[in-house]
Amino acid sequence: MSELRISSIETRGVPGKKRYAMVIDLRRCIGCDACMVACKAEFDVPLGVFRTWVPYKVIGKYPTVRKMFLPRLCNHCDDPPCVRACPVEATYKVDDGGFVLQRYDRCIGCKACMASCPYNARFMLPKHRTYTDITRVVDKCTFCHHRVTQGLVPACVQTCVGRSRIFGDLNDPASEVSYLVNSLPTQVLRPEEGTKPHVFYIGADRNHTEIGRKIYNPQDVMEVERAVFNQNHS
Amino acid sequence: MGDFNIFHIMPWSGTYAIYFFVIGISAAMFFFSALSWYRPEFQVLRKPAFNVSFVLLAAGGLLLIADLTQPMRFLNILNPAYLNFSSPLAWGGLNLVTFGLVSIAYFMTMRKNDEATSRKLAVAGALLALGLPIYTGFDLTVHQNRPVWNTPLMPVLFVALSLLSGAAVATFIAKGEKLLEMLRRFMLWSAGAVAAMLVSLLGTTAYGGSGSELTFMFMTSGTLGAVFLGLGILVGTVAPIAVLLTNSGKQQSGMMLAGGLLLVGGMALRYSILIGGQIVQTYF
Ligand code: SF4
Ligand code: SF4
Repeated sequence: MSELRISSIETRGVPGKKRYAMVIDLRRCIGCDACMVACKAEFDVPLGVFRTWVPYKVIGKYPTVRKMFLPRLCNHCDDPPCVRACPVEATYKVDDGGFVLQRYDRCIGCKACMASCPYNARFMLPKHRTYTDITRVVDKCTFCHHRVTQGLVPACVQTCVGRSRIFGDLNDPASEVSYLVNSLPTQVLRPEEGTKPHVFYIGADRNHTEIGRKIYNPQDVMEVERAVFNQNHS
Repeated sequence: MGDFNIFHIMPWSGTYAIYFFVIGISAAMFFFSALSWYRPEFQVLRKPAFNVSFVLLAAGGLLLIADLTQPMRFLNILNPAYLNFSSPLAWGGLNLVTFGLVSIAYFMTMRKNDEATSRKLAVAGALLALGLPIYTGFDLTVHQNRPVWNTPLMPVLFVALSLLSGAAVATFIAKGEKLLEMLRRFMLWSAGAVAAMLVSLLGTTAYGGSGSELTFMFMTSGTLGAVFLGLGILVGTVAPIAVLLTNSGKQQSGMMLAGGLLLVGGMALRYSILIGGQIVQTYF
């Protein structure tokens, strides 16, 4: 059955086009953070900001407790609000493949894309970097466009010890991601925003995917850390 | 204990609220200057209101540019090859620049006492001025993931806030009973409209799903409560309406008091709406 497409930018199910996607099987994620490290190494991602990150939560009360991980990254949305929001087309979607990428030399740093992304996938690069002069523009995960176009998988997928992260073309019915998305129950984050995310989770827990009540009374230790973070990053 | 998350910043800082405030006043002041060609009681405001408008426009523009992390690249927004018309920022950039150009032309024709052209430019400029609060409202409205922002009210609310803040500033330079009465009405009606819109906004935020509900809590009983409820609604909207309805509210001094309160409210409301829409998501 073909997917319902609202906007002409969407390429899921369009014949002759690739639509890359990632499946993250949370039953297999052990929270080793190897993907975070691989990503940092691949792109020299500066301190304090992340293209992919693995938050965890401890759910329940002793003796019924569980530690849950939810690897996060840009969802390479099929209808990305960040692309709509950028006044100068510094962020754009690659038609064949569905990558949402940045033009670093064009970004003016207005942060409209950051405001429009429901997933906090975007961040501002700091003023000083050691190995590159790409600074003070917005950056994010690229689905490892440079690797994927060479026939490799993204660095985080390559390194995932639990084989929790699986990558492939969702428009190819024979791909592993198609098999998983079509045969297992999957979830995406904040589907109500209409972004049509292309990172699918197997076994995502609502404790993680919902905005929890707890944020109204956050733990003091978290707020201290947050204050330090804000000092360094705003 | 035992949670680990990456912290996220609010993309749009308080500077934007100052920009909204300044540009809203600039737009309304141009409107009053333009009105002077068609309503004689506004004649005393023609030049001073324009001057205020122009200075604030320049200040607002600089503020906006300085807030970019790549300030010199603001020129990209004027490059037709780059412009993305699905972004309200692109429209806003064009609106701002055209308004600036029309303002300069209007200043020149006013100096030459060329009444016919001035009248035409006044109308064109007033329409462009109306575009400023509308586009700033749209800047927020289009982000479907943001509570408070993502409502059709924003552009209209910003127009009302602009008119109210502009009229408040004008009371300080106005002369003549008729003009003051007009300004009093402008303040009263736009403050009334703002109050009505805030009631709806509070309603849709309180019952708009878990993210909105939490935002409502932050804006009322939480960290933003004092600014939003205290300064924005009580001190900055309800109190000035009450002052304007009394007898002393019909004198210039009373109107100045109300105007001052409205300015405090206008700034507080813009700030808390801007920040309010971003708090919850920093935890996601
Ligand atoms: S996750 Fe955010 S940054 Fe990535 S495509 Fe979607 S809206 Fe854009
Ligand atoms: S910060 Fe850069 S990429 Fe993001 S919307 Fe502005 S110009 Fe576009």
